[in-house]
Amino acid sequence: MNRKISNIKINNLISQNKVIFLLYGLVIILFIFGNTISKGFLNYNHVCAILRTASFLGIVSMGQTIAILTGGIDLSVGPMITMGNVFVCMFINGQNSNTLWAILFVIFLGVLFGSFSGLGVAYLKISPLVMTLAVGSLITGITLIFSKGAPKGLASPILRYIGVGSLFDLLPVIIFIWLILSVLCILLLNFSVFGRKIYYIGANEKAAFFSGIKTNFTKTMAYSISGATAVLGGALMAGYTQTAFLGIGDEYILWSIAAVVIGGTALTGGKGGYVGTIAGAIIFVLLESILTVMNMPEAVRKMANGAIILILISIYYNQEKAKVKIY
Amino acid sequence: MNEKQQNIRLYIPIYLIIVCIYIIAGVIQPIFFTWNNNVNLFTRITPLIFAGLAQTFVMLAGGIDLSIGAIIGITNVIAASLPCPDTPINIILWLFVPLSAGLAIGLINGLIISKGGFPPLIVTLATGAIWLGVTLCIMPIPGGIISLSVSRAVTGKLFKVIPSPLFIFLTTIIICHFILRRTKFGRSIYALGGDETIAYESGIPCNKVKIWVYGISGLLGACSGMFLSAWMFSADPLIGQPYILNSIAVAVISGTSLSGGRGGVIGIIGGAYIFYLLNNILNLLGISSFYQFVAKGLILILALIFTSSGVNLELKEWFGGYFYKKGRLLKKAGNDEQKD
Repeated sequence: MNRKISNIKINNLISQNKVIFLLYGLVIILFIFGNTISKGFLNYNHVCAILRTASFLGIVSMGQTIAILTGGIDLSVGPMITMGNVFVCMFINGQNSNTLWAILFVIFLGVLFGSFSGLGVAYLKISPLVMTLAVGSLITGITLIFSKGAPKGLASPILRYIGVGSLFDLLPVIIFIWLILSVLCILLLNFSVFGRKIYYIGANEKAAFFSGIKTNFTKTMAYSISGATAVLGGALMAGYTQTAFLGIGDEYILWSIAAVVIGGTALTGGKGGYVGTIAGAIIFVLLESILTVMNMPEAVRKMANGAIILILISIYYNQEKAKVKIY
Repeated sequence: MNEKQQNIRLYIPIYLIIVCIYIIAGVIQPIFFTWNNNVNLFTRITPLIFAGLAQTFVMLAGGIDLSIGAIIGITNVIAASLPCPDTPINIILWLFVPLSAGLAIGLINGLIISKGGFPPLIVTLATGAIWLGVTLCIMPIPGGIISLSVSRAVTGKLFKVIPSPLFIFLTTIIICHFILRRTKFGRSIYALGGDETIAYESGIPCNKVKIWVYGISGLLGACSGMFLSAWMFSADPLIGQPYILNSIAVAVISGTSLSGGRGGVIGIIGGAYIFYLLNNILNLLGISSFYQFVAKGLILILALIFTSSGVNLELKEWFGGYFYKKGRLLKKAGNDEQKD
């Protein structure tokens, strides 16, 4: 009897989180596949290197996940990353003592601009796609004006340690930070009132409003968080690249959306979560890495990215169709 | 609210903004009013107008097309890799090969979206990546050349008076308007965007309409790519990338709702103008290009605020019967919901 119940529980767990299991299965398969192509792919250092690259994408996708869960989307992450990267380098200027307040100030800027796009989306009912695009353009301009088109400054030793160093010569610091942030994000989304609100708004905004949730305020908060994580991602990238670079965030607009979507979060909102996004980010980086190992040109890598998104989407949506048929 | 009033409410704000900017710019810098500068502007906005039209069609049907950048890129590259000597056969090839390529890509998008029932945003994001890869296989670096007479015909002047770009985009917009407002297909696009289930239940072949909407989007994307190749006299595989987001912005500013079923193509010139007018003015005034991003962002937000339905509702309440008599009457009847 007891065993039966536990069996049912496990079955429920698996059927509810089929997508998650599928994703992490895919991660393992890709790692093994990479190892068969080139020996040493599963080497501890190389795995760490891949996770380190994935951690930047993971941190940026954190806010994107929250924005998409509310049924919106955040296209301003790219300019936000660039802003974080450029401003952090400018303020720090190689001094350890400047690091903390520089990062805090930059996060404040991210929250400011994020809430700006949030206000437009929530209160003025402008579609998130264009509102965040417009705010992105604004941020790009501000970054360019303040850096005068030629970003200066250096990352401080502490930031450098965060970007490339490792704890006890074992675990890269950035992966550790990613872990802490992911735990926080998962707690926020799954075990807090705020997280529940976000899911409700994504599932049905009107119903959420009528059940007494301050939908507009929650949405604004979601975009502020998205801005904060994007800027933080950019600031941490400064630790990895040492200097500022004006084009650093451009690719991350579509990458972050791809990571979220690969992770099984529905673009209509209200379904999915950050656990999937972590796998999505790792899969995205792994695929790039494997194709690079295979000496594939840029063109083939782009095609492979597109193909894997299409394949995963078809799997997710076939599952949903099957569910509809059963019930 | 009947169709005409609805149209006026959609298109008036955007053209008002344009006229304001235009007059202010002309007063500050008289060069702005010269015919040459305006011809230059017409040429610049044409590719964006084509991309915006493509996006408008898809958005009216309730979808979105992120592969428009890749379509522009691949047709641009194909147009420039065709044989370039000035023979009639080559010109016909230049006309039809990129167009059919664009149409085919669009139809494939439509097939995947309608048959699979997947969300268009992701499908077109993925197919966009795939076609960008194909484009980079065809031509990894900018290059290629196109026939001189084609280039002259497309970017020159018609009968030595009318600038051809102006003629080209005006005809296309009129044709698109006719398709949307005066044909069965156009009506079904609006119905599909309004509510897919109801459209299906009233006998509209939803899948067929969807496939052809994406087909048209591919076709218009191809027009944009071809125009760019004729204008630049060569090709660049990555040229379409900025058009992905700009086309969406243009379509939204021109009054088309992202959720589908509302909007049209009349405002598209205004939408495209806003993008380049500001650049043009700031260039003429000699202001650093860095400020252009800020100005573009601000003007975009301003235009969005004026065209967004949420703000219109607020305005309705503020001004009451002044500008929105119909709206107040509806409200008095106890109908708070937006009725348009």
